[in-house]
Amino acid sequence: MTATPESAMTTQPDARIESARDSLATATPGRVTLRDLRKIYGDDKTGTPAVKDIDLDIEPGEFITLLGPSGCGKTTTLRMIAGFETPTAGTIRLDDEVINKVAPNKRPMAMVFQSYALFPHMTVFDNVAYGLKLKKLPSARVTEEVETALTSMNLGPYRDRAPHQMSGGQQQRVALARALVMRPKVLLFDEPLSNLDAKLRVQMRGEIRRLQRRLGITTIFVTHDQDEAMTMSDRIVVMNVGVIEQVDTPQEIYRHPASVFVADFIGRANFLDVDVHEVRDDGAEVGVLGKRWSVGKHPAVAAGDVVTLMVRPESVRLSATDSREVGGSVGRVLSSMFYGEAIEYDIETEAGNLVVSVADPHAHETFTQGDFLDVGFEEGRAWLMPVAADTP
Amino acid sequence: MTATLLPAAADPVGTSSPSSRPRRGSGRDISLLVMVVVVALLLSVIVGLPLVRILTVAFSAEGWSIVSSMLSNPVNRGILWNTVQLGVIVSLLGTAVGFVMAYAQVRLKFRGKRILHLISLMPIVSPPFAVATAAITLFGRNGMISNGVFGQQIDIYGLKGLTFVLTLSFFPVAYMNLKGMLESLDPSLDEAAANLGANKLKIFTSVTLPMLIPGIAGSVLLLFVESIADLANPLVLGGDYTVLASRAYLAVVGEYNVAGGAAYSLVLLLPALSVFLIQRYWVSRKNVVSVTGKPAGSPELITAPALRIPMLVMAVAVASLVILMYATVVFGGFVKIFGVNNDFTLDHYRFVLAGIGSDAMFTTTLLALIATPIAGLLGMLIAWLVVRKLKRTSGLMDFVGMLGLAVPGTVIGIGYAIAFNTPTVFAGRQWFPAVAGGSAILGGAMAIVMVFVARSLPTGQRAGISALQQINPAIDEAATSLGASSLTTFRTVTLPLIRPALLAGLTYAFARSMTTLSPIVFITTPQTKIMTSQILAEVDSGRFGNAFAYCAILIVIVLSFIGLLNLAMLHPSIRGIQRR
Ligand SMILES: Nc1ncnc2c1ncn2[C@@H]1O[C@H](COP(=O)(O)OP(=O)(O)OP(=O)(O)O)[C@@H](O)[C@H]1O
Ligand SMILES: [Mg+2]
Repeated sequence: MTATPESAMTTQPDARIESARDSLATATPGRVTLRDLRKIYGDDKTGTPAVKDIDLDIEPGEFITLLGPSGCGKTTTLRMIAGFETPTAGTIRLDDEVINKVAPNKRPMAMVFQSYALFPHMTVFDNVAYGLKLKKLPSARVTEEVETALTSMNLGPYRDRAPHQMSGGQQQRVALARALVMRPKVLLFDEPLSNLDAKLRVQMRGEIRRLQRRLGITTIFVTHDQDEAMTMSDRIVVMNVGVIEQVDTPQEIYRHPASVFVADFIGRANFLDVDVHEVRDDGAEVGVLGKRWSVGKHPAVAAGDVVTLMVRPESVRLSATDSREVGGSVGRVLSSMFYGEAIEYDIETEAGNLVVSVADPHAHETFTQGDFLDVGFEEGRAWLMPVAADTP
Repeated sequence: MTATLLPAAADPVGTSSPSSRPRRGSGRDISLLVMVVVVALLLSVIVGLPLVRILTVAFSAEGWSIVSSMLSNPVNRGILWNTVQLGVIVSLLGTAVGFVMAYAQVRLKFRGKRILHLISLMPIVSPPFAVATAAITLFGRNGMISNGVFGQQIDIYGLKGLTFVLTLSFFPVAYMNLKGMLESLDPSLDEAAANLGANKLKIFTSVTLPMLIPGIAGSVLLLFVESIADLANPLVLGGDYTVLASRAYLAVVGEYNVAGGAAYSLVLLLPALSVFLIQRYWVSRKNVVSVTGKPAGSPELITAPALRIPMLVMAVAVASLVILMYATVVFGGFVKIFGVNNDFTLDHYRFVLAGIGSDAMFTTTLLALIATPIAGLLGMLIAWLVVRKLKRTSGLMDFVGMLGLAVPGTVIGIGYAIAFNTPTVFAGRQWFPAVAGGSAILGGAMAIVMVFVARSLPTGQRAGISALQQINPAIDEAATSLGASSLTTFRTVTLPLIRPALLAGLTYAFARSMTTLSPIVFITTPQTKIMTSQILAEVDSGRFGNAFAYCAILIVIVLSFIGLLNLAMLHPSIRGIQRR
């Protein structure tokens, strides 16, 4: 993490900034455990749950992301952990202690809001000092702590500015400094980057992630941006209509999704109808595109289940063929799109239309609309998984 | 994962850091509970209890016989009819005048807008009799203008005079309402209509007016409530024209018939409260203008003479009348008997500033100064609880807070007299001593402060609610997340952010406390003299000069307070940017 190019946030590697960050490091990151957590807005009996009985174990020091489409209950879950919403049922534990009844201002957690929520009537310094003053720390200590936090965010020169005199990115860093100075056991983020422009957003991703590693603080991050989730997280929690679909590392989620929803939501996926020849513990033999393939499978898949084969666009392999008819392994190019770093094809096959992405087009033979091709895929990257009744 | 737990450099906050574990046992946010309970208790004492007591008396056998004779007894029927008639006429006329003033202000092109604006607000900061007394002096039987200039003997007492005076006194309410509405009207609608070939007059009748219908309806309803609730003017100018408020007053003060007072109050309360509710929860919801949001661009000011000249003539006429009234108040205080003996004298001012009147002046100002911060803060607190903290009960708290405005002052006053003239006894125990009336603690001053607070709280509450609705709730949550309790959040974050609303609340609270009469006449005592009721006494005994001097001084006090408050709010130590 030391050799990464420095973002705009820390224009040059600065020993002062690094040592300020070290001194903010969390001594005891928190462990958060959710059990059967449920939230129904409005009437407990008649309302539909926004969050349905979820279980989740968040390890100390972990960066975990709640990811899912709009309205799936990410914010609700985060706000229950912060204490701003009262769970309808279930428990929230912090380090084995049930905190359902602990008021939000008594929880050793700090939240960074989408709108930053800086106090507009206070200077940057006073914003960051706010929580420390409430702790009745001596004022010399408050000053010292705030200076450290501001330095760690490279905000030293702005201490006497009002929030409205700063850019969105700077405000974001003030919000972060204000949270970190409290040395929370858990840091909570609700879509903190969505108000920034695209470039700054990418910079802040790296910055928050580096900072979090350096401080070793347990972090729960809510987003609906899959790139954010993939690049920042130790583990991702994929949610859909109030339930958790999968909890895993970004790599596992991408390669071995637990459901069609996850496969579709994270990255892009082709779903092929296949003939299942044999199901073993560690994989399966399937027939598709005129061949027999040995593919990986989701542990839940058993013989006789309704299944589908997921193949990512980049694991499809294309080669020229003399055949002039779609069928078996032969497909035809319906359209092609050139992106510069990759070329994308839409291919008609007997197993359905496939999206195919070929990286570095200059190093490969390119095809044009109407070309007939031999279509295959990397066996090791295909993934056989169950089709749940209610997923598309 | 690669959780690089760097050697945690010595934690400078120390292990005593309160953030290192959740504090057990402290449980829910107690400060919120305390605030809600305190506010609920305060509201039930200052508005709840008097209302409940007036209802119990009105529904007693004695009270109910009067209530039920309201339509059968011809005298009572007449009073009811008078009240409704006055309410309807004044609300329509007052809204029309307010509309003319607002339209001129927002849409017409002319010089002197600021002055016209201030003139339009003048009646708000003046005591109720200023206009009435001036009107008698100018237009009465021996009026300087009616008799002096035109040689007419006009009988100003009765419906005619009341209509004139109440319209001049209450049109500012409609003016404020409609001005805000006209300002937020999207000018692109006008432009669209013009684009489609409509001329200015056509635009006015086919676009502007229909868009303003909800605002106009709201103003009419509000003015209706204000004018049927008014007590001061019917007492001074009513003559034989009795309305419910003056009848209730007569029952309590003249006939010592409290049950009768309660009965008339109930009859007055019903239309006032229902019209208020319609205005607040129905008309304001239909308000299309406020929904369309921010106006895009500024409206083109109207120069077309067909519209401009008649509107301006009317506006100037109204403004001249207002000026005439207040000029009379000022002059009248400096002459022996205005219109009869115009010799210069300082007797009236001496009476108010140094004589018997100074007592009332100091007491009133002092009590208003006590009530103002209480009402301002309470209004903001209620607004905050309603918008941010309460869920199911927020509508109820909002409603009870607004009652001080919705319930006619006469009704509140009689309610206070019934509820607080004797010690409050409940379940065989005395809860608190009498706070109103002659035998009360502190000479009844406490009840007066309570009435001031109840009457002036709603304006601040309203301002606070609309201010809070503009502020992102995440700011409150950020404070909570940093460890602030509800009370601390309110004090250090909410209050500084809604300072303009607080300022408005304080201004109104002071102006309203200083100028309110109807509830005061029922609970004022010889020990605690209040200016407005002293003015009533002076007018009653025909000493108009003293009344004028009182009015002028009262206006000066209110304006000075507003000026000082605005100055103080500019001061950095009060602006609260840098809380130590
Ligand atoms: N205060 C509330 N009252 C009633 N329903 C609510 C409330 N807040 C959220 N909901 C509902 O609960 C569900 C989950 O909402 P939530 O805000 O947690 O979604 P989210 O995953 O954060 O979505 P987004 O990505 O759009 O922020 C939604 O159906 C939403 O309409
Ligand atoms: Mg959300």
